[in-house]
Amino acid sequence: MNTIEYINSGILEEYLLGTASPQEKQEVECMSKIYPEIKTELTQLEIALEQYAQLQPKTPPVHLKDKIFAQMQFAEPAAPEQELPEEKEDQTEAKQIDFRPVVTKSTPLWSQISVAASVLLAVVAGWSVWQLSQYKSQTQQLTAEVATAKQNANYSEALTAMYQSPDNKVIRLKGVEKSPESAVVAFWNQKTREVTLNVQSLPTLAADKQYQLWAIVGGKPVDMGMLDKDFAKKIIKMKIADGGAAAFAITVEKDGGSPTPTLDDMMVMGAAI
Amino acid sequence: MALRKTSYPEEELVASLKRNDRKSFEYLYDSYSAALYSVVHKIVREDEKAEDVMQDVFLKIWRYMASYNPEKGRLFTWMLNIARNTAIDAIRTENSRPALDDIDVAMDRAEAVANYQPSINTLDLRDLVEKLKPERKLLVDLVYFQGYTQEEAAQKLSIPLGTVKSRIRTALQDLKIFFAA
Repeated sequence: MNTIEYINSGILEEYLLGTASPQEKQEVECMSKIYPEIKTELTQLEIALEQYAQLQPKTPPVHLKDKIFAQMQFAEPAAPEQELPEEKEDQTEAKQIDFRPVVTKSTPLWSQISVAASVLLAVVAGWSVWQLSQYKSQTQQLTAEVATAKQNANYSEALTAMYQSPDNKVIRLKGVEKSPESAVVAFWNQKTREVTLNVQSLPTLAADKQYQLWAIVGGKPVDMGMLDKDFAKKIIKMKIADGGAAAFAITVEKDGGSPTPTLDDMMVMGAAI
Repeated sequence: MALRKTSYPEEELVASLKRNDRKSFEYLYDSYSAALYSVVHKIVREDEKAEDVMQDVFLKIWRYMASYNPEKGRLFTWMLNIARNTAIDAIRTENSRPALDDIDVAMDRAEAVANYQPSINTLDLRDLVEKLKPERKLLVDLVYFQGYTQEEAAQKLSIPLGTVKSRIRTALQDLKIFFAA
């Protein structure tokens, strides 16, 4: 893929407009991480729009700022709250009336978080119970498939361990426009720099083709090795990545791999930062 | 304002906003509320409603600041999207989207804006209006600042969608060159 063509395609403008599809958005975000010239173009367009907007100001009414700021709570302790309990009549009462609806209206952050947390907990708990019951009935009924189940369990365990390891950075490589269903997870061990892949979904290839992983280092693709042809439900060890890798991508190459990637056949990518 | 801005780079501003620091939010309001209010007002068209929407917009900016990711774009782009979407939601819930003005009216307004600005901005904007062809400027205003989709703009102005897209693209490139100079 040619970056000038990409810039000229008009996709950056659509991205700024908010009319790009979620796939395209993901793509622009990744491409601008990989290619500094795309990022520069995007930033320049943003700055141009920003300056243009600043040239057509309409000052909001002066009272609006106080009205808005009265509803915000900031990091430092707010002094006005201490004044509230004082029981003065006349003027302060009028002020309190102004304040009260405001105080009740804004939900404190901690309560929002705790509501979110309890909803999450309920979902996770429900999911766990459901998952557990599924496992139970499975083991009871499908004794014949114990071997497969064991294999699956080992695989899930190994996969869970990859996710849980504090050394691993988890990078999701998402499908680009032409293969939106594709998804691969890369685990990048930050101590050993070793990269391990788990393919969630990739199209099956012809016998003379093979998937190849690339790290993007300083804007240049670096070979990270070939994926096993039988990649499903596996944890695949790849090469050790340079600490400066900004992104990872997988392309379709001829059997055995290529020295440089065929960017037109890129299937998934994900930013490492 | 330009001087203050250079002493407050965007990364620092974002960092202190994310710390929920009052001063940085005041700075944000003082620096950007006029640009954002202008967008909101262009969409909702009524003073009272524009104030309500502007209040929502700024509270959203404050509330969602933790989720703003600078890697995905500049702060203003993010705030502009919040302003535009909140304003559009406000008029859509009311089910009374204001009709698009005639091209002539909109052009007159663009001219009026150019002539009205009493500050040092006047020179810049006149210069800019001369450089940006009116039909391109109109499209940028409609689509980026007033929340029309490209399809709606094409339909209302009776020009092909492809033309809308290419005009917007050229206009943005013109703007980019203008502000880079």
